[in-house]
Amino acid sequence: MKAILHILEHDLRNFFRYKWWLVGLISMNLADLFIMAIVYNRMISSEVAKQITSYFNFFAPGLTVTGLFASAFMIGREINMERRREIHHYMLSLPMTRLELAIGRVLSGGLRGMIYMSPLLFTCFVFLGFPTVAQLLIILIVLFFLAIGISGLSIAIAVSTSSLEKFITARGLVYYTLFFCSSVFYPLSLIQDLGRDGKFPMILVNLAEINPLSNGSDMIRSFLLGTPTFSPNMILSVLIFSTIFTLVAAFAYIEIIERT
Amino acid sequence: MINVTVVEDYFRYYVSGLSIMTLYSAAIFIGFDIYEEADHGVFEYLLSLPVSRRQLVLGRSIGGGLRSFIYVGPLIGVSLYVIGAINPLNFLIALFALFLFSFGVSGMSITIAVMIKSSDRFDILMGVLDALIVRLSTAMYPLAIVQSANPLYGGVASFNPITFAADLFRWGTGLETITTLDNPLIPLLGVIAFFAVFTFVGVIIYERRIEGGGWQ
Repeated sequence: MKAILHILEHDLRNFFRYKWWLVGLISMNLADLFIMAIVYNRMISSEVAKQITSYFNFFAPGLTVTGLFASAFMIGREINMERRREIHHYMLSLPMTRLELAIGRVLSGGLRGMIYMSPLLFTCFVFLGFPTVAQLLIILIVLFFLAIGISGLSIAIAVSTSSLEKFITARGLVYYTLFFCSSVFYPLSLIQDLGRDGKFPMILVNLAEINPLSNGSDMIRSFLLGTPTFSPNMILSVLIFSTIFTLVAAFAYIEIIERT
Repeated sequence: MINVTVVEDYFRYYVSGLSIMTLYSAAIFIGFDIYEEADHGVFEYLLSLPVSRRQLVLGRSIGGGLRSFIYVGPLIGVSLYVIGAINPLNFLIALFALFLFSFGVSGMSITIAVMIKSSDRFDILMGVLDALIVRLSTAMYPLAIVQSANPLYGGVASFNPITFAADLFRWGTGLETITTLDNPLIPLLGVIAFFAVFTFVGVIIYERRIEGGGWQ
């Protein structure tokens, strides 16, 4: 346990070294909310407006999940850099088990995601209203699991790719697939309607339904806006995603990093 | 999702805006090359070449712009396919303006890169600038909607080079009914001014900053 705490401290220190980068990233996210979402408010159709009331309100929880994703994914970039610069030999020489090292990295990625996401979540609460204590706890726990899953996914990609270009390409592919096939930017019901009308492939509709980013955003919306209706499946989807990718990341980190 | 009385065909509107956003992002990349060259000592080699500093900056701006066009060429091709019919003469004028726009963005990127001297700070600034300049433009939504959402946003969007480029591209591809562009001369002059300012300011700053290892 102590070894894991050391890894957490190491990665959190590294995280705060990029404070200006984080400020830049937050300002980009806020530009999305305070410019793009406000303008889109004026453009949405009356049918969609009936479902979501305002695009600004709809998008704020999605933006929180976007921020969580971006920051939790940063750990992968660092691990990929360590691998390329062979710093991983030093990490492997530390007096701790491989499993402790791997779990420490996954957890720290998740924690970093939570830290970065906090101001965005707070902004969301300020504009949409505060949840009850129980709802707040559920939101924080589920988002933490989501962040761990994203961190695990990022680590698995980082150790499987030999160059930064390949990592960035893989990240782009994962990013665009997960974000655009989710309810982060538009309501899930809209994607389902397009699927039923044959205008959108059903496989992508199914992906959007099980996508943890959809479920994370919709869970916050269900607590703060009342739509969509809360379902335990939202939590279940995030937990399954998190479990799978934490295990995959730990396995990949231990196996691949020892081989190189 | 989008109200058809606001934008008749948002898919075609967005596809054309996406080409301009991608062109902008690709042209910005030349700034990152400046840091790469400084790290690997290529900068000294470039300065030792028998070309004036002015020719060097101009060549790099045009090279960066052309390179971004090659990157974005397939996307522009797909956009044209999606948009459908184009007006050949208008499109040639729009294409010329897009070349100037990408040269101008490359010049802006080079200017900022040699001024800032830190690749991390450059990365941050470019990210923030990208977020603001793209969102406060007509790449994703019409100017009238931006103005009605917030007059300040509308004011910035009216003088934004991405707005000029996006409007001209839509005009050139026959989407002017969506953009309601009254006079294409105004965005064309805007793009020319943007290109001229960043090319010439770039030359001056480049000359001042790089002599005697000043970029290090």
